[in-house]
Amino acid sequence: MIGTFSALIGAAVLLLLLLVWIRAHSTSRGTSSAWEPSLYEKGDKVEACPPEFVSHIFSGDDLLFILHMESPRLERLFHRERNAVAHLWVRQTSAAIGQIMRQHLEITRQSHDLEFATEAGIFLQYAELKLICIILSASIELAGPQRLCGLAVYADKLTQSIGDAQRAFAAVTQNREIGGAGSR
Amino acid sequence: MGMSASIKVVPVQEAYDDLLHRTLSRISCDLGRLIYLASMRDYNSGSYHHDGLTDRFSPEIARKALELAHRQVFYRVSALSLENVVEEIEIYLRSSRESPEKFLRAWEKLEPYHIAIPLEVNPTVARLFLSNIRLALAILRFRQEPIPPSR
Repeated sequence: MIGTFSALIGAAVLLLLLLVWIRAHSTSRGTSSAWEPSLYEKGDKVEACPPEFVSHIFSGDDLLFILHMESPRLERLFHRERNAVAHLWVRQTSAAIGQIMRQHLEITRQSHDLEFATEAGIFLQYAELKLICIILSASIELAGPQRLCGLAVYADKLTQSIGDAQRAFAAVTQNREIGGAGSR
Repeated sequence: MGMSASIKVVPVQEAYDDLLHRTLSRISCDLGRLIYLASMRDYNSGSYHHDGLTDRFSPEIARKALELAHRQVFYRVSALSLENVVEEIEIYLRSSRESPEKFLRAWEKLEPYHIAIPLEVNPTVARLFLSNIRLALAILRFRQEPIPPSR
């Protein structure tokens, strides 16, 4: 009896999550602009989103201004628009860390002296970021970007930290290769 | 020879400052500056041109200065709070001397602000800019609506 009840609750939670994901997906696609495809389809190097914009997108200040208007129509429009921007940022962040990891794997394939601790650290940070992106993506529709500001700012800092680590790793590997080629 | 050498060493910053002091400072708001700078861009090639600046510097320096100014003003406008975006549109509307109704209708229908976005900017920031303008126009439209009589 308890087993059946738990299974039903589990199925209901799964269904709810699926509905939230479908709604989030359709919202972000439905309000997408001509600016978005260039991010994912052409593989161009995309300029990073400046950190101050992350806190701006997820801040509650603009929502307070809208609430002051006492217009349900404006409120709905605001939620739809800001959710779409937040979703785009999450997708951009997810794409950026994917690109960083691809570059990292490319270098590690050519490198001969890998450090396990460094590699494990980078991989854990990557996994953490991917998980945060999934959580953010699912929570934007449920909680609204304004309640996720801390997590988004943390994800942005972590992305920058992984990017910096990757660039430092690439520079060290390149120097070693130049040094190795010079000593031969 | 000497002339072309002197053109090359002129920093973009000098042309940028010139643009700022001679032209952009005369425009009343950042949104106006943004629209003005976007209009200096060729729709087909995406490159910038300004006769006065080109005469004083070189086409290449002028292009770079305009591009730099466009990006800076764009990021400044995109970073504004929604309340400030509404104020910017109000100032721009007043400077256009167009009737608010006509202006709002044209901006809502034609969405001319799309062309104000520089070519190489972060897509999320570009989306935030479009979103804020759309919301600000909806707010201005809402403010124009007559207050319904209380029952």
